[in-house]
Amino acid sequence: MRRLAVGVGLALLPGAAAAQHVVVGPQAVFGDYVEVSSDLHYRGTGGGVAGTFTWKQLSVDASVAGVTYDPTADGTATASFKATQFDMRLRYYVTGPVSAEVGFMSRKAKPEFEAQSVGAVRAGARMSYLLGPGVRMGLHGGMLFGSKFSGGGTVSPIGALELGLTMGVDALRGRLRFTGDYDFQRISRKTDDGSGSVDVPIQQSLGRVGVALVF
Amino acid sequence: MRRLTWLPVVLAVTLSPGGLAAQTIQNATLRRAQQAFENLEYRQALTGGQAALRERLTGFERARAYEILAFTFSAMDSILRAVDAFKQVVLLEPERELDPNRTSPKALSAFQVALTQVLVVRQLRVDSVEFIGGQGVVGMRYTVTQPARVVTRVVGPAALKIDSSVANGQVNLRWPARLDSGDPVPAGTYTVVVEATVGQNSFSASQRIQIAHGAVDTLPHLISLPGYEYLPETEVPPKSWRPLGLALVYSGIALAGTSALSSGDLGSASLREASVVGTGVILAGFVMTLKKPAPQPARGNILYNRLLREQLARRNQEIAQENVRRRQQVEVRVVPLPKTGASR
Repeated sequence: MRRLAVGVGLALLPGAAAAQHVVVGPQAVFGDYVEVSSDLHYRGTGGGVAGTFTWKQLSVDASVAGVTYDPTADGTATASFKATQFDMRLRYYVTGPVSAEVGFMSRKAKPEFEAQSVGAVRAGARMSYLLGPGVRMGLHGGMLFGSKFSGGGTVSPIGALELGLTMGVDALRGRLRFTGDYDFQRISRKTDDGSGSVDVPIQQSLGRVGVALVF
Repeated sequence: MRRLTWLPVVLAVTLSPGGLAAQTIQNATLRRAQQAFENLEYRQALTGGQAALRERLTGFERARAYEILAFTFSAMDSILRAVDAFKQVVLLEPERELDPNRTSPKALSAFQVALTQVLVVRQLRVDSVEFIGGQGVVGMRYTVTQPARVVTRVVGPAALKIDSSVANGQVNLRWPARLDSGDPVPAGTYTVVVEATVGQNSFSASQRIQIAHGAVDTLPHLISLPGYEYLPETEVPPKSWRPLGLALVYSGIALAGTSALSSGDLGSASLREASVVGTGVILAGFVMTLKKPAPQPARGNILYNRLLREQLARRNQEIAQENVRRRQQVEVRVVPLPKTGASR
């Protein structure tokens, strides 16, 4: 976070601003979280901040979201928990609408034992398309590698996947941008308590709607 | 008798104010001789004309007296004497012309014979012209009535010999109005003198001209090339359903992918989040489909305009160079001045 802040700060310097641009703004976040089985089903809302720094063919996306998940009525969970998720993506424009992405994600749950905290490295691709002047959308997908869980467990090399949809609509002559992001994660986690491998999958859908300033 | 009826008319026309520079005959004897000629009293006309020549006459009156004699001799079929009289007329008035439509063929042929028997330079004309010094010529022409050595000079602030040749009949000259150094002749009033010589006989005619110098007009810079106009560098593409189609495809992939990727152990995945964002994407795609498409750069037009700008810049550069050259040039304006005296 500290490094991101330094990067954003540097990007806002007048001399640097000419060759690059920065988008940063708050977001309203709402999500759906399921772990182990459909009984542990949560829904929640929260807030967050997202920023994008673009320089030539490179872009860096970073976002922090805090969501308070409450058990749903159709499940057996009884306690709420707060998930703080940090996402980072480094994107490089390849050709046409296609960009390559690498990054990492980290989600911490409090109280710690109500849900799994997880961290992983991500790699994937994004397709972006300009719908019209100042209106863009993108579809991204990828895999999560090296997942670590607070409660232990492993994931097969292709067991953690993510998919997302993004959109941005510029306003005020490009000074303001309305954003909408959707991220879906499915992590096929497995644990072994000595009696054999047990599937304890994790699945999260996260929607974010926000407004951002463009510099 | 019929053929003689036009003679008074000819003389009347010849001597009319409009015919010869509004001069009038003051001498009484000459007036009587003219009256006698008009009345077809040729003997009295001859006597009167010869008597008038013995009196003090102006050059104009003397020429008229010889003319009365010439016409009278022609009417009396005394051609040789008519020719002699016409020679005196030509010597007194080298520019004298007879109207072939109003003059008897007999008098006309006598006049033509007289012209070939005297040496005169007639009808000296200088064209009124304007040109850039060194790039044009002044047209001159004259008629010399006998084969003669003719020298043409210009006398004024600078004295120059234009031409020296043996000529007969009409001569056309082209004078570049330049000094030997190549510079234009200085501005001022000049006299073009044409001097014809045959043995001891010589005759000269002159024409005054005014030479003025002026600045050469420079060319204005171009802001456009005639016949070529700039084309719009952007063009609005036709309306398309592509934005909505792509929004539907992207949103559909996101929803379908979510369903496909969700784990069966966790029940059906929540599509609430995907639906909210997907709806936004589809809405944006729909709006963009309805909206007038944004102008797109027209590459062909941009290249065309660039070419046009380059051509214009090149042409203006040439104009600038031409103007630099023109500012160093001088425009020569030559205007012939009215004659004030007779040639001799």
